Amino acid sequence: MSEKEDDAPAEPVQHVEIKAVILLVLMSALIVTFLLYVMYARGVFETTQRLVLVSDDSEGVIPGMDMTFSGFPIGRVQRVELAPDGKARILVDVPKKDAKWLRVSSVFTMERGMVGDTKIKAFSGILTDAPLDDGAVRDVLRGDTAAEIPRLVASARALLENLDTMTRSGSDLNTSFANINAATSRLTGKYGVLGGALGSDDEAKKLLQTLARVDTLLLKADQRIFGKQGVMDDAQAAMRQLNVVLQDASASLKKVDLVLAEAQAVGANARVATKDLASLRGEVDASLRKVTRLIDEINRKWPFARDTELKLP
Amino acid sequence: MRPRSFIYAKPGEWGGYLWRFIASWWYVFHLGAIALVMAFSPTTYNRDNRIATSRHIYNSTWQVLPWFTLLAALVSLVLIRIVVVTAISYGLSAYALEMVVRVLVLELIPLTAAMFVALRAGLAFNAGDALALAAAAKTGAQNRLRQDLVPQVVANAFAVLSLAMVSSVIVLVLAYISVYGLSPWGVADYTRTVGRIFNPAVTIGFVLKTVFFGLSVAVIPSAAILEQHRYGIAPSSTVQPGAVRLLFVLLVIEAASLAVKYI
Repeated sequence: MSEKEDDAPAEPVQHVEIKAVILLVLMSALIVTFLLYVMYARGVFETTQRLVLVSDDSEGVIPGMDMTFSGFPIGRVQRVELAPDGKARILVDVPKKDAKWLRVSSVFTMERGMVGDTKIKAFSGILTDAPLDDGAVRDVLRGDTAAEIPRLVASARALLENLDTMTRSGSDLNTSFANINAATSRLTGKYGVLGGALGSDDEAKKLLQTLARVDTLLLKADQRIFGKQGVMDDAQAAMRQLNVVLQDASASLKKVDLVLAEAQAVGANARVATKDLASLRGEVDASLRKVTRLIDEINRKWPFARDTELKLP
Repeated sequence: MRPRSFIYAKPGEWGGYLWRFIASWWYVFHLGAIALVMAFSPTTYNRDNRIATSRHIYNSTWQVLPWFTLLAALVSLVLIRIVVVTAISYGLSAYALEMVVRVLVLELIPLTAAMFVALRAGLAFNAGDALALAAAAKTGAQNRLRQDLVPQVVANAFAVLSLAMVSSVIVLVLAYISVYGLSPWGVADYTRTVGRIFNPAVTIGFVLKTVFFGLSVAVIPSAAILEQHRYGIAPSSTVQPGAVRLLFVLLVIEAASLAVKYI
């Protein structure tokens, strides 16, 4: 290799100067193109408008990071500065062509995830509102996953403690489960649901015996009631007799009805007679008064009369 | 002949060692400064020197550019695939592209290019006229330096810059294809990611780092060889002269660049 290099100057290379110039020009062009591309990528050639986001904490916000709208980057953080009131001012450059997505009613949020950097997002609910002015100042809403963690851990600890209490041996839950276990084991036992409902197999057995007796009883009762020469037969005969009796009673009642009608007529006659009786009495009274007067007259005229008392019949 | 290592020296010789150490570094900077000044001086580029420079550029860049670019692209492709596939399996595909660009384009490619050119430059410089050059440097014979040293330094610096830039651009394209495929609809997104990575500090750091890599690779091995010939120092080992120092300088530049960017 070394020998070859030594010989190199002796061998004239064809168009070495032109090749060197070509390389130089190509490299210069490459470097300039690369720098222009980087400048373009950094948004140097874009006309932008300024948006100022105010937050009480700018942690994780670095110049150059994107602001997204529906997942598309539409702005780039240019600078972060501390305002006189102690709040962080995030200066965002939004290219004019993307500024149409930002409206006066737009909302801006800043999120910090567990992994990755902070994200600034814009939300425009009403795209028909007036567009956002250049240099507009807006508050940014913060959603910090890391800040939520301590609260989450505290809640989780309380939850776990409760869970621990619930699952500890001798806890209510465990006892309940044991009871459920006993109940279900009874359910799957010889007497099934009946044993579970009554508490033990003995009780279930007694109940079944009782039911068997009731069954026998019902069988016998059926025979006695509906069987041959049973109660129902007697009852039917009694019913037939009763029917006859009722028919007789009905006939008797009809007769009674007639009697009553006659009695009614008698009554009516009696009422008329009573009325006549009153007038008769009046006449008797009048006759008696006349007799009294007559006797009084006779007594006055009858001097020998010792006794003036007149006895009525 | 000096002892092989500083640790074998007696305490009384420490002063001498320190002086030689400082003098050696000073020689590197001095020679580098002379070469740089001459490289920017228009009088350097007369016809003979232009041809010499062209020849060196041809040797150090034109001959290796295709092979180096191809190799860098292959290795980069493997690394890009590994990073992208791993990132996707962890659900972090959004960060894969950024990581690929940061690791490959900003760090690995320039370092690899510098190492590659340094290896070739060291081999090429073991030329027979190193002794004459050393004498010229000693006596300040500027014409000799202009004729032999400056073209070599310029060519090596240019080689590092070229190899790094071409490979970086190829890797940027490969990264795009690996993540988005051949679809053109990822260009806007990709451009935005590149824009986010190459903020002014990173861009200037990248360019400066590459330039310093080029200068180190061009000057340090030459200075080490010339120093050996100048003082008549026998090589302490078969290692290429100045290799350890070059490696140290490259690592210092890389570490400084990382520190400035990420700390």
